[in-house]
Amino acid sequence: MFLSKIWFMLIALAAAVAGTFALIAPRPFERKLEAAEGQRLDRAQYAAEQMFKVDAHKWIDHVGKLGRDAIIAESLDAASRGSGEERVIHRTIQDRFRTLIPDLASGGIDTIVAIDTKGRVIARVGENEKEYGDNIGGAEIIGDALRGWLSDDVWGVGGELQRLAAAPVLSKNRDRIVGAVYVGAETGPALVERLKKNLDVDIALLLRGKVIASSRAPGEMDALPELITHHAKEIETAKRTLPIKMTVGKEDLIVVAAPFPGQAGEQQAYYALIGEHPANSGITALFANATSDDLKWGNFHWLPLITVVFGAIIIGLFLQRLEVDAPIGRLRRELQRLASGDIPKIQDRDYGGKVGGLARDINAAVEHYTHAPTQRSDIAGKDLNAILGPSGGSTFDLPEAGSAFAGGTPPPAFAPPPPPSFSAPPPPSSFAAPPLPSFSPPPAPSFAEPQPFNAAALGFGPSGGSASASSPSGSNDISLPGATKPSAWGQSLPSQNGETSGVDNEATRVVPYDAEEEEEAHFRNIFDDFIAKKRDCGESTVGLTRDKFLQKLRENKASLVAKHNCRTVRFSVYVKDGKAALKATPIRE
Amino acid sequence: MKTQRNPVTRVFSLFLVPLATSLTFAPSAQAATVRGVVKMPDASRSTRLYQGYWRLENGNVPVQTSGGVKVETVVVLENVKGAHAPSARTVTIELGSLDARPRLVITGPGSVVELKNTGKVRHELSTPETPDVMPLESLAPGGTRHARFDKIGGFVIRDAEYPHIMISVIIVGTTYFSPVDDKGGFSIPNVPDSSATLKVWTRGKWVAEQQIETGSLGKEELTIKVVSQRDREKAEQEAKAAE
Repeated sequence: MFLSKIWFMLIALAAAVAGTFALIAPRPFERKLEAAEGQRLDRAQYAAEQMFKVDAHKWIDHVGKLGRDAIIAESLDAASRGSGEERVIHRTIQDRFRTLIPDLASGGIDTIVAIDTKGRVIARVGENEKEYGDNIGGAEIIGDALRGWLSDDVWGVGGELQRLAAAPVLSKNRDRIVGAVYVGAETGPALVERLKKNLDVDIALLLRGKVIASSRAPGEMDALPELITHHAKEIETAKRTLPIKMTVGKEDLIVVAAPFPGQAGEQQAYYALIGEHPANSGITALFANATSDDLKWGNFHWLPLITVVFGAIIIGLFLQRLEVDAPIGRLRRELQRLASGDIPKIQDRDYGGKVGGLARDINAAVEHYTHAPTQRSDIAGKDLNAILGPSGGSTFDLPEAGSAFAGGTPPPAFAPPPPPSFSAPPPPSSFAAPPLPSFSPPPAPSFAEPQPFNAAALGFGPSGGSASASSPSGSNDISLPGATKPSAWGQSLPSQNGETSGVDNEATRVVPYDAEEEEEAHFRNIFDDFIAKKRDCGESTVGLTRDKFLQKLRENKASLVAKHNCRTVRFSVYVKDGKAALKATPIRE
Repeated sequence: MKTQRNPVTRVFSLFLVPLATSLTFAPSAQAATVRGVVKMPDASRSTRLYQGYWRLENGNVPVQTSGGVKVETVVVLENVKGAHAPSARTVTIELGSLDARPRLVITGPGSVVELKNTGKVRHELSTPETPDVMPLESLAPGGTRHARFDKIGGFVIRDAEYPHIMISVIIVGTTYFSPVDDKGGFSIPNVPDSSATLKVWTRGKWVAEQQIETGSLGKEELTIKVVSQRDREKAEQEAKAAE
């Protein structure tokens, strides 16, 4: 089991390493993908910045052209000088604007405004185009235009972003500034859409802590203002953020944010570029992102995997067989041999580990039962070979027809039970009465005539003890099981198996003669003949008891009768291969 | 042994002591003019507070470089011996034409700033760095708002809707201050000889501070070089790296 355990540990270790590797392996790639996505957003942010810059220049160019228009210049000159009807000038400039830029919306323009040198609005087109006369000269971009600068700015007014470009309007002679013109460009959903189309990233515009436009679904960017607020210092110094992670529901995003220029920058006006975070490397994401193509033969190393798996299984099975199956099989065979009496005990030294322990336990159990005090337990469970004699050699051969007990099998390895330790009580003079057995006297036997029996088979012979010596008849006959034999002291002697046994006397003999009795007598004769033959053949008869022998004959007779549908079976003893054997002959009539 | 002097000598001695005393202490009692130039960083020379991407000259008419946020620079001499705070007063600031006039107020503690919205747009005014002085409130067209400034220091009133509208309110404990002209020049007359702290305020914050001895200046012109925040941070980083 040691190697098997080590193997399983190695397999578990390898599985753990493989699992860890499977989970960790995507991490570097995930980081690289994240970095790559961050770099993509960096480039997108740079591109967006350039777009804004180019846009601003484009608007400045547009508004510069408007400022060079003669009609607008003359009208504003008149307005600045206070000559002419203000309403007429207003209409004139409006019409001129509409002539020059017929479709504001297609050009992304929200409004065009003309201002005189005092900062008063002379005319508007687009938003609030009916209003004029108000002064906006304090706005920096307007003030700059009136100083002669062409510039741009971003405003965040009324919760909306507006990109502005302003230019001075010069007099007809281009020697003085007579006013200014500015355009306001839409900075909202349309810009977001255009940026997304050009940059292939999601865009969100923020103003004063609110998302005012986004290419993603409403509500997804709710956490963005707070996230960017946390990086306000970074934005202030670097004019942008590094790629930062943001979680929206179950989706991880990467965000790069940068401020808008101009005074909107003071109003927390940012544009954020949003990219999708690469897939997580968790086990769920690992399976979720795998496709069936990944498991195709061409894309997956199935052969090495199968080789490794089967190799592991084969090695495991080999070790299992080596350390578990084989020893258990061997133990089982030894147990069978032990049960059949071929071996006295299991060679537990041949086994290691738990199987060895099991073998030792079995030996201990066998040892326990073989040293039990009763003879019944000694022979309990023994098969016919054990019954037929410890020296073996005799078998009980029952062929299909003309059945016979044939010998020839090797002697049972099972150690014969020790001879009954019972001995005749010592003479009365030196003997204190032995304790009386606690059992009740058995019923009288149903037969009367005892058959001759070799008492030595049970150890009662001359070499086995003094039981025969104590027999009043002086013969080696002993009573059948169940017969009670009074002792020399008028008491029945207990047999080793707990039953009362003793030497028959005339008073106890019952002589009913019928077929059953005749058969019993036949069996006893056979037993006697069998014992005699065994002795003649030099075989040991130790442990061979008449009760078991007779019981076995009865059982075999019953099975043969049932099998051959005969009336009875007659047994005979003969010598086969130098050993005593039994032969059964079915009697049909 | 004490020498007896004649009466003429005695009379002369009587005049000599006050004369010597007056000659000894005369310089400290004299008033001087502290003048100089504040050299702003390039980025601060603009008339704009916030820049867009582009700022181009028109190519025909020379651009004007005066006005705008440049007029919001002031030099203040603090800790001048014998100086006293200006009296408290009410200063009215008009908000109109997307502008505030005046953009710079220098006054004494306890003064009240009255903000009148004469324009057509709503203003959201506050002092963001000291919100207890002036929390964010909307000022509708035609409306007026008052704010009292008790503490000495510089305060900035800002408009959340129009960030370029930035009103500097400087509460001083001295009468020795002077706005800076377009070229950065300043002049503070009648400054008593004393050690003093010269501070420069521009674009909503103190940008320079240095100790001067007004008595030793004479006709010397001070040159106050204002370092931009970026340059200051860069210098600090270099100093740290050198350490």
